[in-house]
Amino acid sequence: MIAHQDPMHILLADDDEDDRAFFSEAITELKMDNKLTLFEDGKGLMDYLLNPDIKLPHILFLDLNMPGKTGLDCLKEIRANSRFKDVSVAIYSTSSSEKDIEDTFIEGANIYIKKPNDFSMLKKVIKEVINMNWQFHTSGLNIETFFFSI
Amino acid sequence: MKFLKLFKNSQVFKLALGVAILVVCYFGSKFFSQMQKLNSTLELIAKSNETQLELEKLLSIINSYDYSLRNYIITKDESYLQNRFLNRGIIEEGIKKLKVLTANDSLRSKDIQTLEKLINYRFKLFRETLIAAKSSNVDQLGLNSKLKRSNDYTEMMKMFVYKIINSERLKTKFENSNHQFELQDSLITAFLLIILSLLILLLSFNKTNIDVEELRQANDKLKLLNESFNSAEKTAGFGHWMVNLETDEYTFSDNLYRLMGVEPNAFEANLENSIKYFHPDDLEYVSKVHKDSLLNQQSTSIVFRFLTPNNEIKYIMGVGSFTKDGNGNLIKIGVNYDITNEYKKTLELEENNKELKYINTELESFNNIVSHDLQEPLRKIQMFISRLEEKEFDSLSQQGIDYFSKIRIAANRMQTLLIDLVDYSRTIKGDKVFVETDLNKILTDTIQDLATNIEEKNAVIQIGKLPTIKAIPFQLKQLFINLVSNSLKYTKDDVPPQISVFSNEIADEEIFEYKIANKEDFYKIVISDNGIGFKQEYSDKIFLLFKRLETDAKYAGTGLGLAICNRIVDNHKGFIKVKSSPNEGANFYVFLPKGDLI
Repeated sequence: MIAHQDPMHILLADDDEDDRAFFSEAITELKMDNKLTLFEDGKGLMDYLLNPDIKLPHILFLDLNMPGKTGLDCLKEIRANSRFKDVSVAIYSTSSSEKDIEDTFIEGANIYIKKPNDFSMLKKVIKEVINMNWQFHTSGLNIETFFFSI
Repeated sequence: MKFLKLFKNSQVFKLALGVAILVVCYFGSKFFSQMQKLNSTLELIAKSNETQLELEKLLSIINSYDYSLRNYIITKDESYLQNRFLNRGIIEEGIKKLKVLTANDSLRSKDIQTLEKLINYRFKLFRETLIAAKSSNVDQLGLNSKLKRSNDYTEMMKMFVYKIINSERLKTKFENSNHQFELQDSLITAFLLIILSLLILLLSFNKTNIDVEELRQANDKLKLLNESFNSAEKTAGFGHWMVNLETDEYTFSDNLYRLMGVEPNAFEANLENSIKYFHPDDLEYVSKVHKDSLLNQQSTSIVFRFLTPNNEIKYIMGVGSFTKDGNGNLIKIGVNYDITNEYKKTLELEENNKELKYINTELESFNNIVSHDLQEPLRKIQMFISRLEEKEFDSLSQQGIDYFSKIRIAANRMQTLLIDLVDYSRTIKGDKVFVETDLNKILTDTIQDLATNIEEKNAVIQIGKLPTIKAIPFQLKQLFINLVSNSLKYTKDDVPPQISVFSNEIADEEIFEYKIANKEDFYKIVISDNGIGFKQEYSDKIFLLFKRLETDAKYAGTGLGLAICNRIVDNHKGFIKVKSSPNEGANFYVFLPKGDLI
């Protein structure tokens, strides 16, 4: 298990500049002891992750609809590599289509978050997800609990 | 009637004819033998008569000799001794004849032998008497005794001959009466023979007549059948052909010629002549299939084209199979069916299908645009609104705050509309998987989803027991969400909303009103509320797409919610009805079939 004494390291891969800004602002406003690293596409994310020198993140927020390497591609690569088995992957997408939810569930994402349309809601979601007991969540995971709702 | 039936039965008739012919043969042979017997009797009589005649002739010759001798003794005239006196030649001839005549009769033969001896002895006596008479010194006494002896002997001979003649006469008489009797017998036989022959002839003639009549009727029927078959082929666009594999003879039906675009019997039916009516591109394939089938005698089924002389292309479905005809010859029978119309329709359908698929893809991408691409900027707008509200609210004027609130309401409304549109298009999409669905669970999930809304409105929800049915779960959840949201939306201001969801028996008047064949076929689920209601006359209109009732501006709706409900229930082969009146609340009835949905 990842020790929680360290500040929690969070990654966000999202091609939308505004969404990255909202996310970053929300993290700042939450005033939690977190380290956030942002990526604007799948390639950048994977290049970072595959560097053996880095310290692995606790949670990765992954947008699905990105140019080049999509979120689903990244998810597949991550879940194919046992080195990342302890990294929790939270899908963070505008889409709430059944297909996207099912595909990412099957590929081993831990939770599916539909991007909120209200900033205070966004803060709430991030807070909940960061404070989530992942071990507990993962052991009772099914397609219904997979889709995150407040 | 029974006899006629028996008569008509050719087997019985053949048997009867056989028996009759046997009887005729019997009578014929009997008649023949009778005739033969008659003939032999006649012969016998003739022989007997001749024997009698010969015997009398012999006697008369002996007598004439006797007279001649006596005359000589009396007159001493030598001329009496001439004229072939005592010529044995004639006697010998007579005896020979008699021997031949009596050859079959041993008794009579003996008689003739005795007669011959008697005659020989008589001739001896003649000669002795003549010698005695001729001598110069006639011993008158000796001569007299000799004459006397001759006389006696002659008498004795006469007696013997008459005895034979008599016996012959008796025999003749007997044979004659026999002959008479046999003649009568033969007449009867002959008569019977004629009658019987006539009868057979008549029966045969009658039978032949009947057979010919039957044949004619059968022929008529066959003709009629053939005609109706021909016209049936014409109407149905069928044509058939046959080939006798032993003789390689082809037969084409009238309509087969028509299918090829020519008049019936326009050419001699064979493979070579029909080749030019096949579409050149199909010819090789068709003849290969046909020739292969003639070798392995497997049934065939192919689709090919005829090219008529008018350059019209006909699509033909051809099936061929093998069978044996009445003579045990192997034949192939083929039926060709004009499927041009079907083929064209299929093409058209395929075209339509392609278009439909294209439209569906379009719809899908439209759906994607609505669900993702349109929502994305809207979400941004909403996000920025929430940011501004949080950070810049204090620096806005009152009017600015009003404008701001209107922007937020408009953006939210647009979001609702987009969500409804996505929901609606999802109900149209083809991928519908029906699974056993517990409606109780669906309803619980619905109420959980709507919990915030229910709390806000202070609503009381009553839940009854619901059935488990084969359904598309997400659509049924959508149905409940829309119906319960609907009830939560159109509430009276001063009364806390009360919403009940339960299943109920179909009432008798509903069977009539909603034209339900059997009330056991459907589940009825009721969603009732105590809201503002509406006039019953709008009950059909509210389920139409984008149809909204004119209500207070605060009851904002997209006009899609109930249309989605209608669509979902329709997808499940059920129907939805509503009963309401203003201020009396509304009762929505969802009827879902109990059986399997296909």
